[in-house]
Amino acid sequence: MVREVFDSVAAKYDIMNDASSMGVHRLWKDEFVSSLQPGRRGPQKCIDVAGGTGDIALRILDLAREKYACRDTTVDVVDINTQMLSEGFKRFKKTMYHNTPQVSFTEGNAQELSKEQFPDNTYDLYTIAFGIRNCTSIPAVLQEAYRVLKPGGTFACLEFSRVDNPLLSTLYDQYSFTVIPLLGTILAGDRNSYQYLVESIRKFPPQAEFARMIRNAGFKTGKDVDGAAWTNMWGGIACVHTGVKV
Amino acid sequence: MAASTSTRLLRLTLPLVKTHGFTRDALALSVLHLPSPESHSAPLSDAAITALFGQEIKAEHSLINFFFDEGIEHMKSRAQAFSDSNGRPPSIKEVLEERLKFNEPVLEHLPNAFASLASSLSSAAKLGPFQVFSVDPLPGLRHALRIADEACYLSADTSTELSWYARRASLCAIYTAVELHQITSPHTTSQFLESLLTSSSHLKKSFDEVGLFSSYLFKSFRAVAKSAGTL
Repeated sequence: MVREVFDSVAAKYDIMNDASSMGVHRLWKDEFVSSLQPGRRGPQKCIDVAGGTGDIALRILDLAREKYACRDTTVDVVDINTQMLSEGFKRFKKTMYHNTPQVSFTEGNAQELSKEQFPDNTYDLYTIAFGIRNCTSIPAVLQEAYRVLKPGGTFACLEFSRVDNPLLSTLYDQYSFTVIPLLGTILAGDRNSYQYLVESIRKFPPQAEFARMIRNAGFKTGKDVDGAAWTNMWGGIACVHTGVKV
Repeated sequence: MAASTSTRLLRLTLPLVKTHGFTRDALALSVLHLPSPESHSAPLSDAAITALFGQEIKAEHSLINFFFDEGIEHMKSRAQAFSDSNGRPPSIKEVLEERLKFNEPVLEHLPNAFASLASSLSSAAKLGPFQVFSVDPLPGLRHALRIADEACYLSADTSTELSWYARRASLCAIYTAVELHQITSPHTTSQFLESLLTSSSHLKKSFDEVGLFSSYLFKSFRAVAKSAGTL
């Protein structure tokens, strides 16, 4: 189901994201990556799971290079969907990172990453942006993240979450269930896939529950409040969860 | 579980403050001092520090506040040891001296710590491309008030009602002055503390006498008014 949805939206994924979020997803991704400060204390080995279009990987490499003059930080982009990966690969061809050891694209399932390609204790930073809610088993994804991270490595997840403010929540619900599927029909000719995307957001566990799942996988987090175990963006429409393998 | 890991790392960071200050660097190095096999081969990354202790300056504040908490614990344990060996609770001076001693190893980093607390991100305003910091004295005041309250409790202070507040307010002012003095002249801290406590007790005595005299005066006026038939 998920594979079919993303197969059908791959080519217009970014256009649709821009249209449905009015460009805000770019700000969230910028803030997500800048909060992680990749490359600040030297080169980092990163893995971006469900990162097919290369949005996060490109931001990580650009930030490390532009802000910290780090050209040795690397990102392995992993996605279950080959269509999305080829979109990302195409995008990277336009950048200086194409054909360098700084980036690689691999097809893989977040729930069971290949142990040969992704050995234990390998990465300093694991990112997953707007991807984990589409996985069948979130605990399995978290276990794999824990496995591939080095001790001291960080798990960081950007995902849609729960809006606390009742007024904002009502407006957001109206927008999600009416405008987004309509935009899907107009721009991508695919209402069902975008209907699925909106519904999957509502099924994703709220902030505190997801933080508990992260801890259950073995990670250490801050306290269960906004600004510690998680950081809400735009009142909780999107949210960054982090955990550390200590 | 989450809190205990952070607390454990903060405790491992305290000895590093002497050399690295109240900084994210000190926090990053804490994992190198975990007992084996938990010990790490490299310091924590910035992302990990942010995840465990908060973004930017908030991580430093976590460390500073933990140092203050440990200072209170130090006062308590020293007061207990004093009571056990002397059969009486320590005096205010003895309790405050113990707290000031706790500052000594990290004295050179305290000005930065107080500056960091006073310029919290929440009080920063952004004017176009410029970040304007306003000074927030509340964290420093809270720190001194906490110590004053704890010192009163440990020295078995018996003041009640208004004098309960007055006692804590005066001790808060005294402790703040002495801590600032300690940063610039650590060798004369004890004498300075003693002189302020003596002045404060003189001041209290003077206030009490003024209060007593005023009450007599009021009673006299009342009696005069009664005998004149006004009341």
